[in-house]
Amino acid sequence: MNTIQVNNLHFSYTPGSSVLNGIDLELDQQTTAIVGQNGAGKSTFVKLLKGLLYPTKGEILFKGKNTRDYTAASLAKDIGLVFQNPNDQIFKNNVISEVMFGPLNIGQDDQEARHNAISALKKVQLDDKLDTNPYDLSLSERKMISIASILAMNTNIVIFDEPTMGQDFAGKEKLKEIIWDLRDQGKLIICILHDMDFAAEVFERTIVFNQGNVLADGPSREVFKQKNILQQAHLEQPSITQIANELGLDGNYLTDEELIQALKEKMTS
Amino acid sequence: MSTMTLYVDKKSFIHHVAPLTKLLYVMVSIAITYIIPKLEFVLFVTLTSLLILAIGKVFRKILPILALSILLIISIIIVQGFFHPENQTVLYSIGFITFYKEGLTFAALLTLRVLNMIMSFGILILTTKHDELVEDLIKKGMSPKIGYVLLSVLQLIPQMRATMGKITDAQRSRGMETEGNLLVRVKAFFPLIVPVVLNSLHNTRERAIALEVRGFNTKMKKTFLNLSKEYQYTKTIQSILWAILIVTIAWRILS
Ligand SMILES: Nc1ncnc2c1ncn2[C@@H]1O[C@H](COP(=O)(O)OP(=O)(O)OP(=O)(O)O)[C@@H](O)[C@H]1O
Ligand SMILES: [Mg+2]
Repeated sequence: MNTIQVNNLHFSYTPGSSVLNGIDLELDQQTTAIVGQNGAGKSTFVKLLKGLLYPTKGEILFKGKNTRDYTAASLAKDIGLVFQNPNDQIFKNNVISEVMFGPLNIGQDDQEARHNAISALKKVQLDDKLDTNPYDLSLSERKMISIASILAMNTNIVIFDEPTMGQDFAGKEKLKEIIWDLRDQGKLIICILHDMDFAAEVFERTIVFNQGNVLADGPSREVFKQKNILQQAHLEQPSITQIANELGLDGNYLTDEELIQALKEKMTS
Repeated sequence: MSTMTLYVDKKSFIHHVAPLTKLLYVMVSIAITYIIPKLEFVLFVTLTSLLILAIGKVFRKILPILALSILLIISIIIVQGFFHPENQTVLYSIGFITFYKEGLTFAALLTLRVLNMIMSFGILILTTKHDELVEDLIKKGMSPKIGYVLLSVLQLIPQMRATMGKITDAQRSRGMETEGNLLVRVKAFFPLIVPVVLNSLHNTRERAIALEVRGFNTKMKKTFLNLSKEYQYTKTIQSILWAILIVTIAWRILS
């Protein structure tokens, strides 16, 4: 299926300063969040998965084959990556051709590409801006355009590099829907996040990066329980978990619903 | 990080020459190739610039620019070799194409001048920190506005290079084969120039505002953040350069 196997992955941009130092992971069907402080190597890691960079040591196997043997372009059918900075991704001068660019490249015909593009734009609620120049949109809208242009490619693996960046509440809700929708279609979702609340609420698995190493990896509930490890990676627990701790509740809580439920039970008893 | 500057950070004697001295070298070495239009002399000056580049350990960095100028050079040779008004002595002919000695000599002279110009600017730009150069010029009385423009222009090439890299990544990751094929890449790049330029204009405006709110246009006398660095041999090298300039002018007048 859509498994990515990462073995002893090392990477450095310039010889001598290592960015990733020996990462072993298997990425499978679960929705996966990657968290870690600035500069931990998260974006670098997903660029390696995508074949935009090649390991300096170690290997990445996709469907059993080494990514070294693919070009980034030939991986495009299978793996979609939404860049961290939409300005690094958007280069066409109207929204619809930007979103159709990927689908056309991976062999969809014009009609199919347009159809997929428009339905992707509907998902991010920008289907009324087809002929606008992306540079005339706001940053958060551009981010949504960059997401739509990957969704339209309908890949089996979708990687988001910090999708919540600059998004308001409504934007985050939209993203949640999109991610859950993709999960229900059986796709592998990997998502880099700085928003712990979002990670805890939406993702089944969480991986903590710290200075080019994996510090923790497991079900989100287990990972966010470990305050010490998160602190070591200079991260906070999700705010719901923190509130529950302060209140001295047993067990661990990831979402508002869980906490509210527990408090209600406490009050009635 | 991929550095956003043309400056190459290495240790060499040339890096330790004062920025203004290098600027003087650029002016003198270009001027004398016009003052004394003799092939051997211009060749000598060009080779000197080449040597200085090599001492500064930046020779390899100038190669792409020299390669770009080949096209210009070839057209100079063809046009001058063919059509120079003083063409008399036939050197050789290929089919119906005839090259004349006068034209070719002139073409060689022009070519060497162009090469020398590129290389001497290369010495200045590749071995000097740009902000230091501009600060020194401002201390000499140049308007800070011109300094700002100068810095922006020097920033342009690395910026274009970075943008090009980003865009090819964006294209590759969405299924466009760019690897290896220059034609494909160039074709892909042209439609992008519009957004790139628009974006950079936009950035320029933002930067202008950012400068203004920090008092760029103030009439007060400004101080400088960086202390002037002390450089050795500045006087000596500059005197030698001035002397060379004067000697060539004298030679030109007298002969
Ligand atoms: N193109 C590049 N050239 C050289 N070094 C780079 C490049 N891109 C990133 N780095 C360096 O690699 C390290 C890891 O960067 P990376 O972008 O992967 O971090 P990140 O975890 O995504 O951080 P953030 O949360 O800020 O996005 C940083 O120290 C960064 O400075
Ligand atoms: Mg990043």
